Amino acid sequence: MKDLTIRNLSKTYFDPYAGTNVTAVHDVSLKVEQGEFVCIVGPSGCGKTTILNMIAGFIPHTGGEILVGGRPVKGPGPDRGVVFQSFALFPWRTVLENVAFGPKMRGVRKVERERIAHEYLALAKLTEAAGRYPAELSGGMQQRVGVVRALANEPDVLLMDEPFASVDAQTRMTLQEELTRIWQEKRPTVIFITHDVQEAVFLANRVVALSKGRVLDDIAVDLPRPRSWDALNDDARFKELSGRVLQLVRSA
Amino acid sequence: MMMLRRLSSALWFCAPFVVLLVLWAVFIPYFDVNPRLFPHLSSVIQAGIEGIKDGTLIQHISASLLRVAVGTVLALLIAIPLGIAMGVSPIISSFLTPLFRFFSVLAGIAWIPIATLWFGYGFGAITFVIFNAVFFIVTYNTLLGVSTIPLQVRNAAASLGAGRWAMLTEVLLPGALPNIVTGIRTGLGFAWRGLIAAEMIATNLGLGYMLFVARDFYRTEVIVLGMIVIGVLWLLLDRLVLAPIERATIERWGMVQRA
Repeated sequence: MKDLTIRNLSKTYFDPYAGTNVTAVHDVSLKVEQGEFVCIVGPSGCGKTTILNMIAGFIPHTGGEILVGGRPVKGPGPDRGVVFQSFALFPWRTVLENVAFGPKMRGVRKVERERIAHEYLALAKLTEAAGRYPAELSGGMQQRVGVVRALANEPDVLLMDEPFASVDAQTRMTLQEELTRIWQEKRPTVIFITHDVQEAVFLANRVVALSKGRVLDDIAVDLPRPRSWDALNDDARFKELSGRVLQLVRSA
Repeated sequence: MMMLRRLSSALWFCAPFVVLLVLWAVFIPYFDVNPRLFPHLSSVIQAGIEGIKDGTLIQHISASLLRVAVGTVLALLIAIPLGIAMGVSPIISSFLTPLFRFFSVLAGIAWIPIATLWFGYGFGAITFVIFNAVFFIVTYNTLLGVSTIPLQVRNAAASLGAGRWAMLTEVLLPGALPNIVTGIRTGLGFAWRGLIAAEMIATNLGLGYMLFVARDFYRTEVIVLGMIVIGVLWLLLDRLVLAPIERATIERWGMVQRA
């Protein structure tokens, strides 16, 4: 696990329909310490997914720099694990093989990478599902696989792009609680993108509010861990923080 | 339970054929149809037994199957890599797609005259026709298959450390497989039809040739036997080879719905 530094990051692209250049991300700077859990929250179109895609190396940035453990990002790489909203599991691989994929790419031999995969599957309570194919699982279970597939590769930074947006509300709450538990156990450096203010406050050490491609504010979340919805639903501090972030995002 | 359902579905599949055979066995003798126009069931069975005994039927069948196998394998060896190259490179794909549209229409027996000039009568010309029938369809389907792989899945593989080779073998090939299998089934269907037509013209061995020559001697029982063998072989190929491959892979993966 390493830290992540973003300096004056920007993304400008040519919009062929408007016939002009559009700036999706405007001069964003952000430092994420090793082992920190940062949520970037903002409405759709605020540039948060663009930022994540640039950190992941899926799209090039047009200004500024992105450093993971001091090294500049050039394209996708195993130092940055990604969890996708659409899960993006390999349908032709079993759950076990999906989770073992990263280690396999590193050249870890079969027995060892399956041991690693089983260990991570157990972490997400997926041991029973090891031999099944993704299409045979519910959305919630698929995304559990997505999370541990990224973690099993032991990336320096874990990038999560609205990972729980496409599962039902009850499952989402369970997944959020599990994620905080797994994070406490493994302490990865996490950047989590969401438009859900409560989700951001529930999960993060820090919430970065974003609007129109700019950082509005950076709010520390000092809620105690482990966190659960039962405990936080009526928590005054949780409500206060959520209210603050919501106001920020809405006023912009 | 599974076996029983399989068995009953197989029996149900055979039922209309049994009815057809019974009608044939009863009505052709009843109306005293001239065997030069349509044979009795018994004489077709007789022709089948003779063909197996003297080895000619087996010779024709194996000649036809060998051509299909060689033509198909050669076509797949070139079509799948080419289709993937087209799928990942917009330039190659947009340059070649018009050509593939054009040749997909042509693929088939339109090639026979020029194929016989290039390869002479026999194995080469007919294999070439098979090759064409499979090649263009499979290439196009592979291209289609690669383009249906979600960008996020490719991104996921890249961020898990997949290099070019792993991307090819672990993502592009399995991701395109449903379309490739569809392409092979369609292509082989065309190839099988093309094969019979080509063998009528361009060879002196094979099922198509057997049909065509029998006509010269008014041997309708051999013609009908040939037609039955052609149909049954295709059904066996499709049901016992192609469909199980599809079931074991892409249906299990949830990438296509069971037809």
